[in-house]
Amino acid sequence: MSPAMSAATATGTRAAPPGPGLEPPGGPRRRPKREREGAAWVFLSPWVLGAVVLTLLPMAVSLYLSFTDYNLFDPPSWVGLRNYRQMFTEDPRLLRSVLNTLLYVVIAVPLQLAFALAVAVALKSMRRGKGFYRSAFYAPSLLGASMSIALVWRALFNDGGTVDSVLSGLGVHMGGWINQPGWALLSVALLTVWQFGAPMVIFLAGLQQIPQELYEAAAVDGAGRWRQFASVTMPMLSPVVFFNLVLQTIQAFQVFTPAFAVSGGRGGPADSTLFYTLYLYDRGFTASHMGYASAMAWMLLLAIAVVTAVLFRTSRAWVFYANDTSNGTSGEGR
Amino acid sequence: MPGTRTRVSCAATALALCAALAGCGGDAGAAGGKVTLRFTWWGNADRAALTDKAVAAFEKTHPDIDIQTSYAPYESYKQKLATQAAGGDAPDVMQLDYRQISQYAGSGVLRDLSTVRRTLPTGAMPHSLLKSGRVGGKQYALPMGVGTQAMAYDRKAWREAGLKEPKPGWTWDDWESAVRRLKKANGVYGMTDPGSFEDWFEVWLRGRGKELYDAKGQAAFTAGDLDRFWSYATKLRKEGLVSPATSTTQMDGSVENAPMGRKQAVAEFNWDAPSAGYEAMVGKNLALAPMPSGADGTPGQYFKPAMLVGIAANSEHPRESAQFIDFLLNSREGTKILGVDRGLPVNATARARVVPKLTGFQKEMADLQKKLTGRLKEPPAAPPRGDNALQSVFGRDYDQVAFERATPRQVAEDFLTEARAELRP
Repeated sequence: MSPAMSAATATGTRAAPPGPGLEPPGGPRRRPKREREGAAWVFLSPWVLGAVVLTLLPMAVSLYLSFTDYNLFDPPSWVGLRNYRQMFTEDPRLLRSVLNTLLYVVIAVPLQLAFALAVAVALKSMRRGKGFYRSAFYAPSLLGASMSIALVWRALFNDGGTVDSVLSGLGVHMGGWINQPGWALLSVALLTVWQFGAPMVIFLAGLQQIPQELYEAAAVDGAGRWRQFASVTMPMLSPVVFFNLVLQTIQAFQVFTPAFAVSGGRGGPADSTLFYTLYLYDRGFTASHMGYASAMAWMLLLAIAVVTAVLFRTSRAWVFYANDTSNGTSGEGR
Repeated sequence: MPGTRTRVSCAATALALCAALAGCGGDAGAAGGKVTLRFTWWGNADRAALTDKAVAAFEKTHPDIDIQTSYAPYESYKQKLATQAAGGDAPDVMQLDYRQISQYAGSGVLRDLSTVRRTLPTGAMPHSLLKSGRVGGKQYALPMGVGTQAMAYDRKAWREAGLKEPKPGWTWDDWESAVRRLKKANGVYGMTDPGSFEDWFEVWLRGRGKELYDAKGQAAFTAGDLDRFWSYATKLRKEGLVSPATSTTQMDGSVENAPMGRKQAVAEFNWDAPSAGYEAMVGKNLALAPMPSGADGTPGQYFKPAMLVGIAANSEHPRESAQFIDFLLNSREGTKILGVDRGLPVNATARARVVPKLTGFQKEMADLQKKLTGRLKEPPAAPPRGDNALQSVFGRDYDQVAFERATPRQVAEDFLTEARAELRP
């Protein structure tokens, strides 16, 4: 999982402020460039050290291990491309986990973004108590990644759990959700949707950037609220939508904790919540095939890179940058 | 150059910061000449309470030794220990499953216990049990307790159905008709579906004179055998006699998430010591019965060390570790505190001392083992390394059967294909 995560965060690494706090700029004698760079490195060293020791080195080792057979105890033995070949030809369960993950991404991400946008729009037009509601809606995002919430979720959606009891009270007897193959994935997706806080805050910031005069002009032209939303809000917000979409898609591909807790680590019932990362963990830590698990991690990194690239490609067609005359050549506007 | 000094002091500050941070993670074990040992094990909160009590008693008589304990449920414990061991950071004293012994001993994680023989005598332990901790003629681990498979059941529900207590030698057919009557009398599922656990398949298989693995560590059963076992479970499930798929699929090894723990069944197969967990739900009526045997009375279950304990090869305090293990397994006080929580004591003297004083469920457990003594066949050799993965695959595959995604035959074939790949030498 770690290679994929670092791919997501690696974009923020280049901007190193040139020698902060050494001397006011434009002083009588500017120091040679090399010297200031040296100071920058000193200040950067904790970060560089962390990135190299905790991210880059493990990634390199994982790449090496992906070409080996490694069970944690005996030294890794080189097997060439066997792990990769096995993934594509001999592992039906892997295919199942890929399909599960795709299904999950396709369900959870749009639902979550739609929810976040709806709440952000509602919050923006709110006159009083905005701060309170903003915090209240954000709270699940802070809690959601934790194991305990996933366990609460399990209790909620179990047979005899809260959801089951309420539905039974309404005359709908369907038992638990997490123990039926058709419903388990949806209950995990709902947990993700519930954590809409982070994209919501970003949407809110984006909404506040839209110039008020655009709405006024639209109102003068006779546009109603829906028309304003479709013709002003959405185009102006599209870069933010795009940003959220990319970020949440990358995160959704790496979903792990909720599925692990809800299914007790097995990805059940009947493999219906066996996500890619869960299967990766199973191969690595239950079956002790660390080489195979490493190969899976690198395939995930590649897959996320491809999906992100495709998203960037499509963005040209629908992302609108207000101050960009070439009509959006890249997504780095924001 | 004025800048140089600033730069140097910056660097110095950074270094000092690093040093201060590193200092926070310093070694606490070196303080005051006290020896610190790490002891890790798997289990639940009840076992934690007993173990901590035993540790406290040991520390009282050995004031110069400090023992840090940590525990986790079985699955996560196994994963954590493997990672620690691979990183050369195995705890001084570790509880082990017999599946782990050959791997850990072979990779040099465990210490040869003959080096601490004087501190940790094993004379009072039966040879048959010591065998399971031996690799290549050397003793790497000692059994902590003896366990066997069992059927835990609610005695009250059993009696209300007009059933007699099962005796050693009862067959799977007897079991089936008992389940049928339980269902009729109680209206709940008589029994938890046995199809999802490899362990119960093994008992069923041995009752037919076969084994899970042959001497070379390859699968010794056919897809036909597994098909027959799963078809049998499926027949009972379809009649509503055993727990349904939606309930069985939630089993994760803990008593709380098993159908009997959730009061959806009145009987369930389990190992004897962990069955103590049902007491919270069933109370005083909790009873243990032998596992059903094959049609001709061939017993499928066996005695095995419920768990073992070993010392890390790179432990800096092997002697103190040995003292601690000796306290747990041999001493009057240690064995008294631990009771039969990790299975019946291995040390024959301790066993003779502990067993007569048992009450309640613990007595139930001792009685079961007494009834079975001399009737069971030799336990199988420790399973091959791939068995670890296959255990979880077994449950996962049975989900496909229980939710009727595929026929027992198809899934059995799939399981064997995967087993062959996992067991590849």
